[in-house]
Amino acid sequence: MPKEPLPTTKGFDPEMAGKRAECDGGGHFGEKYIRREEFAGTLSGEYVDHGDPPWRWYLLKDLYQKPDHYAFDSVWCEKGNIYLVGE
Amino acid sequence: MAKNPLHTKLCDMLEIEFPIIAFTHCKDVVEAVVNAGGFAVLGEAMHTPDEIAADIKWIRNKVGNKPFGIDLVLPASVPPTGDLDELRKKIPQEQMDFWLDMKKRHNIPEPKGQIDLHQWGGLNKEIARSQLDVLLDEKVPVICSGLGNPAFILKDAHEKGIKVFGLVGKARQAKKEAEAGVDAIIAQGYDAAGHTGPVGTLSIVPECVAVAGDTPIIAAGGITHGKHLAASLCLGAVGVWTGTLWLASREGDNDMIIKDRLINSTADDTVYSDCISGFPMRVLDCTWTKEWRDDKAPKVLGAPYQMLLSSDYIQAANDHRREDLMTEAAGQGVRFIESMKPSRQIVLDMVEEALEVFENLTGMEAF
Repeated sequence: MPKEPLPTTKGFDPEMAGKRAECDGGGHFGEKYIRREEFAGTLSGEYVDHGDPPWRWYLLKDLYQKPDHYAFDSVWCEKGNIYLVGE
Repeated sequence: MAKNPLHTKLCDMLEIEFPIIAFTHCKDVVEAVVNAGGFAVLGEAMHTPDEIAADIKWIRNKVGNKPFGIDLVLPASVPPTGDLDELRKKIPQEQMDFWLDMKKRHNIPEPKGQIDLHQWGGLNKEIARSQLDVLLDEKVPVICSGLGNPAFILKDAHEKGIKVFGLVGKARQAKKEAEAGVDAIIAQGYDAAGHTGPVGTLSIVPECVAVAGDTPIIAAGGITHGKHLAASLCLGAVGVWTGTLWLASREGDNDMIIKDRLINSTADDTVYSDCISGFPMRVLDCTWTKEWRDDKAPKVLGAPYQMLLSSDYIQAANDHRREDLMTEAAGQGVRFIESMKPSRQIVLDMVEEALEVFENLTGMEAF
């Protein structure tokens, strides 16, 4: 859909690496619905920024909470939807 | 003479007459509600940036300088990869056989065209970002984020004079968005149509009010009557966000079969089920939902597999206008949709009903 690829920057944030976190996640589903889904796991520290101002996403791995039948063992979570466990 | 209880902080913020927000996918409803003194937000999550720009121009031509909003679904999480064809191959045989048997027993035809709901994975963070850039370029008066935290665009939006609202399903999300500086938060309860959080409207609204500081809270979920508006203001909200209310409006673009069903439905005719998408969502009860809660039905699959199964059914029901099969997302307040009224009338009726509540409570003329 975008005419040109958005500027994307990958990086590593050592301050976030190894921290346990929850993510109130979700996204678009079907023609006009949204879905809410919750994850919990460990932040790898890897991140990706899209566009300007940067829209930052962290990789949450080693998931110990995820929706039933979620087919992957990691998820990209938007920074503003991450809740660090115990902080 | 008492103060007008319906003139809230939201009215001052948006320069509107009534604290009623219509969320709709129909531009005609936006025009009618905005011109009636309310506020309307157009859902554009599945539209291209060019389509969104064209819609904004259309609305501006119809409402002049009056404010309106555009809603995008900013995703909050995305899987690392995902391929639709690969996922379809993973649907277990038991559930596939159940669907094929249901198809035969109910004589469900093939869809006529493209399976719209197969576009479940058609939106990702790159696309959402490009949609968002259109809203910033166009300086749309209000940007609403229907899911994810919009904190990252606040600085840019505010510099352009754009207000940003976030929709939440939990109090901790409200707290985080309020601390980030969003202009208002929509607290959506379990009563709502579609995928909702597990907390009821009566509980989530005051909880969000309690944690959001000075950030205004807008109540959502099951709101279809002036009594709901009055109650929401009593809970501390500054206005209401309404969706189901407009589906059967005169301007609404839903099929007449769905409009008729909405008009004749009560809360009992809605079901909160995961059998359509794999996530719990509230819809009008239909053949599909009844079949999946039968004792003989197999286990509902998780997302995205269940949606891949249900999308053929939904598309066929809509393409062939099969009244016995069709469904629509609908909130628990559907009972108060009693006729196919013009949107302007819906706004004015809701105002009158709410004022009557306040007059009955106080024994004074509201204003």
